[in-house]
Formats: sequence, structure tokens, C-alpha cells
Amino acid sequence: MTASLQVIRAELHAAIRNVAPGRAAVDELCLACVALLDVDGAAVSTVHQGAPQWTFGCSDESSRRLDEHQFTFGEGPCIDAVATRRPVLVPDLRAAQGGRWPVFAEAALADGVHGVFALPIAVASRPVGALDLFRVDPGPLQRDALAGAVVAADLAARSLLHLLTSGALNRDHDRDQDQDQDIHSTSAVADDPALGEPDASGAPGRVGRRRTGDAMDVNRVEVYQATGILIYQLDVAPGEAVLRLRAHAMATGRSVSEVAFDIIDRRLSLRRDGREGRTDEGRGTE
Amino acid sequence: MNGAAPSTQRREHRVIEAFVRLSHELVDDYDVTDLLSTLTGSCVDLLDVSSAGLLLADHQGVLHLVASSSETTHHLEVFQLQRNEGPCLDCFASGERVTVTGHADMARRWPEFARAAELLGFETVHAVPMRLRDQVLGALGLFGTDAGQLDDADIALAQALVHVACVAIVNEESASDRTLVNAQLQRALSSRVVLEQAKGVISAAANLEMETAFTVLRRYARDHGARLADVADDVVHRRLHHDSLLAHARATAVLPT
Repeated sequence: MTASLQVIRAELHAAIRNVAPGRAAVDELCLACVALLDVDGAAVSTVHQGAPQWTFGCSDESSRRLDEHQFTFGEGPCIDAVATRRPVLVPDLRAAQGGRWPVFAEAALADGVHGVFALPIAVASRPVGALDLFRVDPGPLQRDALAGAVVAADLAARSLLHLLTSGALNRDHDRDQDQDQDIHSTSAVADDPALGEPDASGAPGRVGRRRTGDAMDVNRVEVYQATGILIYQLDVAPGEAVLRLRAHAMATGRSVSEVAFDIIDRRLSLRRDGREGRTDEGRGTE
Repeated sequence: MNGAAPSTQRREHRVIEAFVRLSHELVDDYDVTDLLSTLTGSCVDLLDVSSAGLLLADHQGVLHLVASSSETTHHLEVFQLQRNEGPCLDCFASGERVTVTGHADMARRWPEFARAAELLGFETVHAVPMRLRDQVLGALGLFGTDAGQLDDADIALAQALVHVACVAIVNEESASDRTLVNAQLQRALSSRVVLEQAKGVISAAANLEMETAFTVLRRYARDHGARLADVADDVVHRRLHHDSLLAHARATAVLPT
């Protein structure tokens, strides 16, 4: 049983309240994830030259090892999460074994890990790392746990940002900045079939929204508007509304922008209990 | 030439009116968000374009929409797209005016933008830089539905309107202080975020179009001597109940009773 999002959020913030941004804060955050999100291990990796390269903080040594396996073998949910700028949620690695990440899956299963949930960590829409959550029992992350993981990834971003600005990764940071325009306009779209797919509906109001470059980008007009709609519908504060929006996008594997347009066009409504509802059964959202 | 005179005079009159209105608004405790909205509206009136939007760059050089003559979501998207490609982005990057007429040219230079522009029927685009001394802060995008180009007088007028926007956003005394300028730009950008959220609240509460929701917010702010940005913030943080705004909108015939 997962705690409510309010409790999770409060506890995550509390976990790092008295810790300076950096390695120790990320370790504390990972431990808090294990305590709160119904997972058994957590690790945060940092991005170097566009891909996760090393484990920054972790809840325990076996999580660190599993996280590092992915860099060693160049495959795994965390690598994919950073490359696509989308969360990669794998409730059961046995189903994915031999498919997407044969070597990583074998190593994880040997450790008794079945569920892996990787969330990209971004600063100003630029990927700077990933949060990996590992679970022994197979099964999806519950909604509040997923929303909590988004909070944890945001909190981890602060420590990674601190790392970036403290100079350790500055060279890399600057180069990535120069390439940002290219990343936004080409690679993220080209690498992701869901983003590059032409918009079949051609309906007004949907113009270009698949070309956002970053599937989790919340700095968009439609996202602001949809956030307002959720503030009203769910009777929550703005921060909470954004989080619900992002969590829904993650859970359904869509971009935040797509979900936002569905909310604005009244094709989708998120209910107060957290489960989604549809306002129009005729126009599916998945 | 004589035949054009009356309409030229009428326009000159409208130009003067617009600047008088703006100069009145610029006095005292003015409302940047509302003023920039008025200004983009003036661009549409005076320059014979169908849509105008003002984009400002954040500290990372990413463009964000701060004001638009139309509040509908898909109109905003055309401006938002400029984050990735388009005349406003090129104008911002180069600091030079960008003019394109005809869809073929648009499609060649900015395929994604051209697709969005075509859906809205835009044939011409002009982008005018917003400068503060040696720094380019953003760009004004002007989109028209017919193939006619703006003449030099139009462009000069557009540039003057952009300058007013710049003065409105960046306080003159702080213009030499980069940090202060950035803080003022950021405030204008944040105001827009909150305004969009407030439009969402109002539209959901009464099942209104975004454009109407904006009018409801603006009407309430103006009639209560409050800043649009403050009213939006109060709505979003539920310090001000949406029913108060909706009741006021009905009382002032913005909405049917």
C-alpha cells in the first residue's frame, strides 16, 4: 500500500530538508523513495555527453550495481528514459527479457528484481540524469507512487544542477547547451516514433504539438491552461495539478502536451480520486 | 494618391489614439500583462494583419509567448512553435527583421511552422526584433492572411509599438543592469503562465472558450482597479473564487445572464 501523494511529497521534502544539495542529499532521496514508493531500491545517475554515465547516489549497493550495469552494457530503462526524455516503466522484466535489454534484464532478474521504473531528470528541459526505481515483486507503480517518483526526480534535479554548476560537469554542460537547438528540433523527435508520427486528425488546436521536442516539457501554453482546468476540477493547488498532469502522461506513455490538449478539448478528465475518466467515450485517449 | 488620403488620415488618427492609450496606461502602477495584450491588439488593428504575438526570451534564450492578439489555444501554438523554428526565432537570433511572403517560401525555411501557419491561413509573416540597447530581448510576430507585404511605414510603426512594449516590460532606470532586466523579463513571463492557468480555471468553471475566459478575467481586473496578473494569481491560488468573476461578467454583459 502506497502512502497518499501529499504524505509522499511531504516526506520526500523532509528527507532532504537539512541536507545540502549533492551526493548525500541524493542518497537520502533514494532511501526515502524506498520507504515511500513501494520499491526496494533506488539510484540516481548523471548524464554525460547525452547519456547516463555514472551513478551519483543510491539507496543501497545492489541498486548502485544494477544502475551501473546499464552504463556498462549500454542498455537499460535508464538509458532509454534519457534518450527519449520519457519515463520507461517496466512492471515485469521477464516480459521484456530477450527483447529490449537482454543483458540488463538478466542481471536484474539474477538479483531478484522484476520491476524497473526509470524517470528522466531534467533541468530547464535538458536531461541531466535519471532516477531508477527497482522492485522485487512484479507489477506497475501505483498512481501516487508514480506521482511521488516525479517529485523525487524534481528534487534530485536540484542536486544534479548543483553538481553541474559547481564545475564538475561544466564542460559537458556548455557543449550540450550549444546543441540544444538541434536536440529540440531533430533528435528527440526522430528517435521517438510517437513524437514523429504525423497527426492524422489534422484538427485545429492540435497543430505541431507532437513536435515539442521534449515529451515531458511542461513549459507550454496548453499545459498551463490544462493545469488551470485541473485546479478547478480536482480542487487542488497549481503544483499539484501540474504533477497530476505529468503523472497521467507518464502512466499512459504520452507527452504532457498531448494529455493537456485532451483535457482542454474535454476528451479527458482526471477524477479527484486519481483515476482517469473520459468525457467522450467515442474519442479514446490511449 | 488623393484617393488614399482619407483612409491614411483615418489610420493616422488610429495610430495616435493607440499611442495615447498606451501612454496613459504606462503611467503609474500599470499592468504589464494587460498592456501587452492591448498592444498586440493594436498591431492587428493598425497594421492590417490577422494575428500578432510578442515573444520574450528567458535566461536560456528560449522564446516564450507573453502576449497575443488572440487567446485561442491553437493561435498561441503558432507562436509557441517559434521555440523550435520560425521567423520569430530567426529574428531573435539575428536581431534583424524577417519577412516572408507566400507559403512555398515559408515551407522551405520552416516546414513545421509552415504547416501550423497554413492551417490558420497565414500567407505572410513579419518578425520585428525587440531590442534594449545592444541586447535582443525577443520578437514581435505579425501574421497576415493575404499576400500583401507591410510597407516601410507599417514596419516603422510595428517597430515603434515593439519599443513601447520594451519600455513597458523593462523599467528605464534598470535598463543597464542585466540582472534587473532579466528579473523583469522573468516576471512578464511568469505572469503569462499564471494568466493561462487562470484562463483554464475560468473556462472549466463555466465551460467557456479560452478567449472568453480571458475577457472575463480582464473585465474583472479593470473594473476592480486590479492588475490582470494579480487577479489571475488570486484565481489560481483560490484566494478569489471563480464565481465572483463569473458573476461580474454576467453583471457587465460579458457573459449572458
